[in-house]
Amino acid sequence: MPSTVVHAGFALLLAAGLLKGAYDRRTLAILLVVVTLPEADTLVGPWMDGAHRALLHNLTIPILAGIVVYWDTCYRERSWLRERFGGGGIRVAWVVLFVHVFAHILLDYAHLEGINVFYPVYDRFFRLEGELLVSTADGVIQTFVEFETNPETGEQTADVGAVGTTADTHVANPVELSEDPEPDDPILLPIAERGWELYLALTGLFVLIARRLQNRDSE
Amino acid sequence: MAPMIVNVALGVLVGLALLGAAFDRRSILLVALAAALPDLDAAASLVVVGATNALLHTLLVPALAFGLLYWDTRLRDRSWLEDRYGWYGSRVAWVALAAFVVAGIGPELFSTDGVNLLYPLHDRFYTVVGSFLLSSQDGVILTFVDRGEHLLWLASPGTTADHHVATWVNPTPGTGLETGVEREFYLVETGWQLIVVVATVAALAVRLWEER
Repeated sequence: MPSTVVHAGFALLLAAGLLKGAYDRRTLAILLVVVTLPEADTLVGPWMDGAHRALLHNLTIPILAGIVVYWDTCYRERSWLRERFGGGGIRVAWVVLFVHVFAHILLDYAHLEGINVFYPVYDRFFRLEGELLVSTADGVIQTFVEFETNPETGEQTADVGAVGTTADTHVANPVELSEDPEPDDPILLPIAERGWELYLALTGLFVLIARRLQNRDSE
Repeated sequence: MAPMIVNVALGVLVGLALLGAAFDRRSILLVALAAALPDLDAAASLVVVGATNALLHTLLVPALAFGLLYWDTRLRDRSWLEDRYGWYGSRVAWVALAAFVVAGIGPELFSTDGVNLLYPLHDRFYTVVGSFLLSSQDGVILTFVDRGEHLLWLASPGTTADHHVATWVNPTPGTGLETGVEREFYLVETGWQLIVVVATVAALAVRLWEER
């Protein structure tokens, strides 16, 4: 996984853009909990094959959560969210959902073996990998979705980055470095494994500090 | 270098995060332009050897802008910027400067192409690539920092003389406009860049829709 630090950095950047006045300590604390929570599926790994990046890293949970929030705020006569936390609470709920999807789930979708997108409804890991460019020699090239035609049958297939199922896919994590971890495996806790990961973490930190300074100036 | 669309996306995110009450269509456009601005040095590389990621990616440009802005908005009795455009102008100028550095220069510095940070005072490209891990056996593993013989403690791919950053404007080392070479205009190089762009489009759409 890009480490939690990287997720948190991107989350801070996105949340700062969507939360205006509500970028306060309480909201940030909620945000950090939501960003960290999905990694808890690593702890289930020793008991269940392929739990990491499936159990809590999917789009099924945010879709359901979105439906619940929408139903609560738009269809019920008395919204629980509004009564408990006011109008600001509704905004925070949507922003937390947005940040969870983009800064955690989709960022992991583009990393290693990806995520089990619709677990448990449909058990398959997908990963996003590719590039998009315009070349003077070959025109538009995109390799995110690759189309292949079987020369014998003429049948067209699209490769959208399907990897495997929970049975045969293991995404390395600090709890289990490999499918069958050795007892003397080191515990490796990544902070940033690439330049861009460090960049996202630092940018989040920059935005956080800049917002603090802006608040201090306006007081 | 990171594709310009990624620079712009990150610039928009910085703008959404920091513009506050100064956010509107005009200000977010200005901030996005500021993030794209450093990439124009690719055009200059047709005339000046090795200007890509050097001429406008040097920190001297934003340092100068910072000095001017600080002097005008903080030190002078009457700020020209605030007289003319009010609080709005000052906020947009500061955020545009932040976008120039963070979204315009930053992504290139943290990729293998590197940035000529102190050009032309000190002609050397630097990159921040590597990893930062905590290991139960080896302790802290930090390879982002490189105590070489260079001025800054970072890895360096070379100087303007021997390091060429290929772009669609100038794909081959050296100056001059060439014909008959293959040019590649990258929109997105990797999966994470696509996610950043998509997230930016979604966040911007939400904010603009609210602004109506």
